[in-house]
Amino acid sequence: MKQRKNFTKSELNRGLKQWLIFAVLTIIVYSNIYPAVAAEPENSEENLTPSNDGIFDRIITYIKSLLGDEEKTQVSGAVSEAAAAGMQQSADTGGAVLKIATPSVIKSPSFLGDSNLGVFAHLSNPPLMKMDSEGHLVGQLAESYEVSENNTCWTFYLRDDLYWSDGEPVTPKDIEFSIRYYGKEAPSARWINDTLESAAVSEANNSVTFKFNKPYTRIDLEFATYNILPAHIWETIENPVEYTNNGPYVGCGPYYLKLIDLNAGKLVFEKNPYWKGKAPEPETVEIHFYSSVDVATLALKNGEIDTYYKYAGSYPYSGIEQLEETGNFDFIEKTDIGLVFLALNLKKAPFSDTEFREALAYAINYEEIVSLETLGYGEVPNRGFVPSSMENFKETERLEYSPEKAREILEKAGYSDSNGNGILEGKDGKDIKLEILIRPEYSRTGELLEEYLEQVGLASDLRTADADTWVTLKDNYEYDLTVTRSTPWGMLMHASWGSGYFDSRRTGQGVMHNLDDPEFMQLCDNILATTDSQELQSYAYELQNYYAENLPAIPLYWSSIVTPYNRHFEGWYTDPLYGIYNLDNFVNVRKIEA
Amino acid sequence: MSGITRKGIRYLSSLVLIIIINFTLPRLMPGDPVKNLIGEDVYVSENVMEELRAELGLDRPLYEQFASFLSDLLHLDLGYSYHLHAPVAEILLDRLGWTLLFVGISVLIGAFLGSLFGALAGWRPEKRMSRFTGLAFIVLSCTPPYFLALLSLYLFSFRLGLFPSKGFYDVLEIGSILHHLFLPVCVMSVFSASRNYLVMRGSVIQEKEQLYALYARAKGLNDIGILFRHIIKNASLPIITLLALDFGFLFSGALFIEIIFSLNGMGTLIYGAIMGKDYPLLQGAFLVIALTALLANMLADLFYSLIDPRVRRPT
Repeated sequence: MKQRKNFTKSELNRGLKQWLIFAVLTIIVYSNIYPAVAAEPENSEENLTPSNDGIFDRIITYIKSLLGDEEKTQVSGAVSEAAAAGMQQSADTGGAVLKIATPSVIKSPSFLGDSNLGVFAHLSNPPLMKMDSEGHLVGQLAESYEVSENNTCWTFYLRDDLYWSDGEPVTPKDIEFSIRYYGKEAPSARWINDTLESAAVSEANNSVTFKFNKPYTRIDLEFATYNILPAHIWETIENPVEYTNNGPYVGCGPYYLKLIDLNAGKLVFEKNPYWKGKAPEPETVEIHFYSSVDVATLALKNGEIDTYYKYAGSYPYSGIEQLEETGNFDFIEKTDIGLVFLALNLKKAPFSDTEFREALAYAINYEEIVSLETLGYGEVPNRGFVPSSMENFKETERLEYSPEKAREILEKAGYSDSNGNGILEGKDGKDIKLEILIRPEYSRTGELLEEYLEQVGLASDLRTADADTWVTLKDNYEYDLTVTRSTPWGMLMHASWGSGYFDSRRTGQGVMHNLDDPEFMQLCDNILATTDSQELQSYAYELQNYYAENLPAIPLYWSSIVTPYNRHFEGWYTDPLYGIYNLDNFVNVRKIEA
Repeated sequence: MSGITRKGIRYLSSLVLIIIINFTLPRLMPGDPVKNLIGEDVYVSENVMEELRAELGLDRPLYEQFASFLSDLLHLDLGYSYHLHAPVAEILLDRLGWTLLFVGISVLIGAFLGSLFGALAGWRPEKRMSRFTGLAFIVLSCTPPYFLALLSLYLFSFRLGLFPSKGFYDVLEIGSILHHLFLPVCVMSVFSASRNYLVMRGSVIQEKEQLYALYARAKGLNDIGILFRHIIKNASLPIITLLALDFGFLFSGALFIEIIFSLNGMGTLIYGAIMGKDYPLLQGAFLVIALTALLANMLADLFYSLIDPRVRRPT
């Protein structure tokens, strides 16, 4: 109260003075900001047109000019020009650097222990085989290969122009060593140890022959994933999975891995001086890992990065439009061979009933899910489950949304609402109440499914679980329905075409192992017993027909993998397994005048 | 029993409890470390799974695992990380160094700035500047750090191009490190300062009403003298508590800031270990955090008695 009484005239004057100073300062600052921005359009011959950008952009422009950065001063709409200049410069430099952003963070400099590093190391230590853009398996380090009639002996003939980055030639011994090494040291490759009977190296033929103790028909595919190591380096390393080193690592690809710098968040690949194949143009390839996808997309938009890569993932669909607006990026769009699907607990009623599954397939509004989840970068799938981009795809009937049809089928199959409470009853006379087990990344899809089921008279509850709980519940078959996805490798594993997810004889974190129908298992065994391409195609068609008729899972959408790339580089190439991260892409990419 | 013995027993029992919780908590989480180690789409036989389980010592009964954990601890061995393929102590040392560098500096700057502005605002709360800083710090303390970090990154890194967007450095040089750390340190300092500001402001407002402040004025001491020689001493007691609490935060890193700036610190390390069920790494990291928090609390106790004679006085 005392202070209030002391509120004198002099204090009032002081207050007014402060306001006046503030007002004058504001006018000065604004008058400085305005010309700074208004002057900018001179370059575009629109110097009389004031900028349409808001005060926020003007402040930024002003701060930039204060920092003596006038030449680079850009208003918000011109950010893309700065980016363009940066990207042009990057492409023009003789020793161009190709920069790739990825959210797949490398956690440990363990060449054999870190799975993300394993993918990126394909560039320096390419596997024996590769997948071409059509999904066919062809040799990479191998010139050609053959398999014995009983499918137990596989011979790979090596290219003779391969050299390690330390000048040593790549020999069949390196191949034999690498494959045996993985079998012995990597838990995920223990199957090699268990099935490989012998391996013979022929220096004369430049070949290596692997003999297995049982017919093994998928070796060419398996060998498209194991990086080849230089025996003369790695044979001295005692505990390879626990071996950590920041580089350089000796490689035989067009590049070798020079540096793993976790604190700088990058991998640096440099040209292999002994590479005799088609010469790559960029002197250096840098993989920059970002813990936040949002920041990675900003870096791309800003022109700091040339392209984006994530194994089994697309560039975020929500960011594509923004990148398009910059005018600096083109996009490769290819249907993913992995997909998102609704898995059903086939071990219990009502999902063990084919008619119920049939009705369920009609209850889902695929168009809506596609538009919400893929923002137009996806399509309504076929009943045959397998996406169109996969080898030996068979055109089956497209899934259709028809709640009326769904209700009709349910009623015919004996699921009716006899007590009139709006919920259908099962064959045991009780109301059907389903539990949809959902991981947080599919929460929206879960909510949509809940709605669709309600529309056909099926009550459901969403149960959200973290990834580990999901695995536990899934493995214990404690769910009715769940939304999950398949990866490219997941679609290829086991007997291929997604069979590895359903075959009840398999285990694994991502697989459902919920189908023990003898017909399906026989089909898998048939596929696993042949290497004949005609036979394989016919079995693949049979498998897709089986999916279409029996619906062991309901595909929700096929989506595209969209990869943005700096349009000052051309020659981009993608394969169904590793997307743009393949050797052919890196030797083909060339700078151009855009 | 003397006060020191009583305190010693209290700290020791806390330590035992911490060790037990450290061992138990990760094992209560759902999920199987071996399945996590194998990966999503990889098929391995049950035999291989069992072999791996045995290799990691996870096939043994819990009490045996606990005994082995204790024995290793007594030998100052924190174990071996399942996923990062290195001794836990080595990993922690590397990450702690970097985390200390950016979180430690931020906590100190935040404590200094927050205390200073808080004290000034508490001394003259009616001033326009005090009201303005009060509002600003309330807004900042209510803003999620994730958003604040993203906003600052967008403005200063992507729009103005003043700072790099990720990592601790481009090349391992002091200039590059300072350049990279400037933005995350600023964001964290501001965030830390806002909390300290609010505490200090409230504390000074309370203290300045005390008789000793009036007595100092009666002695003819000026405002600055009263605030910084007398009031701030007593008003800083809650700040010391806050700083002690911040030590835990300091060593656990700042997950969101680390994610936004792609920093390889303790926050992302612990997050990764939780997701991967890396028991040894989790145990090691939590132990270090708990020990540091314990140590910080001991120091806070000590500082309290140094600053405030009432704490020293026997009851």
